[in-house]
Amino acid sequence: MKIVKITTFVCASLLLVACSSDPKVSYGDATGVETTTTAFGSTDLQSIAAKLVDDLVSFPPIVRETANRRPVVFVDKIKNKTTEHIDTESITDSIQTKLLQSGKFRFVDMTAVKQIQDQLQFQMDSGLVDPTKAVAFGKQTGAEFMLYGNMSSIVKRNSDTKDVYYKFTLKLMNLESGILEWASEKEIRKTGEKSFFSL
Amino acid sequence: MRNEMLKGLMLTLLVSVLASCAVNETATVTVSQGNVTQVIESNSGLLSDSLSISDTQTAYAGDMLKAQVSIKNDSSDDLSFSYKYKWLDKAGFEIAIDGRPWSPLTITAYETKSVQAVAPNPSATTFKIMVQN
Repeated sequence: MKIVKITTFVCASLLLVACSSDPKVSYGDATGVETTTTAFGSTDLQSIAAKLVDDLVSFPPIVRETANRRPVVFVDKIKNKTTEHIDTESITDSIQTKLLQSGKFRFVDMTAVKQIQDQLQFQMDSGLVDPTKAVAFGKQTGAEFMLYGNMSSIVKRNSDTKDVYYKFTLKLMNLESGILEWASEKEIRKTGEKSFFSL
Repeated sequence: MRNEMLKGLMLTLLVSVLASCAVNETATVTVSQGNVTQVIESNSGLLSDSLSISDTQTAYAGDMLKAQVSIKNDSSDDLSFSYKYKWLDKAGFEIAIDGRPWSPLTITAYETKSVQAVAPNPSATTFKIMVQN
């Protein structure tokens, strides 16, 4: 009887320790597969960026275009047509970073235009900058291509299962001719099922 | 009655301890450019027993190395796991560490699936593919 009491006490203690209020903090792999919920997550963002960058840099006409020069591109906003709040700029930031690191493309950053104007104005008008060392107006390079796209989703659910389908489409347009030079899609399907214990 | 209760409690404790000690298993395949070699390293038997690399292909898109690996499920069960490409330069340095995510993949019994990737930049000459469950 005494052994049963001791074992029960040990089990209860273990449970109490496990349920203590202080959360256990640990570092995980940022590139690991994350399946906490069916909502858009880090694995979706990373797999979209990886797939679309692979497709773009290996597309034969783009390979020819980037063989001896690095075309200048600007990234437009990605339209979020899903029902979720998704930071699409974070996806395009990842894509832009990977493309820059590939050494195949250069970018103009439209999100920094106001800051650039302010800095150039400061250099020209403040009187603090040596005019011979000030950056001249009207010398910036114009983008030749525009990256833009859409993100959409289809959500279906019944009493036990939730199915989410994401489709991310990215396109590259030649700004001078208006021709769509490249497009690619990444599809993701996630299914969440209620477990037996979460009634 | 008392002994059965005791046995039940001990069994529950043992299962809890074993469950908390489960480890991720990683198998690594290295394909060297030119002289194609495959090295499978695994810290556990399950994945290396159930999965095999049936084929590897490399080619260049311009000056970027691209790779295709065909993974075969040798078991009679569906297997869900994740894989990740790692790219190395001529000196053996890993390029764009954490540049690629672990990607989930499910292969049905005895099926072979191919996974492809393109190197992050032209300096890549070798790749590794890692799988973990």
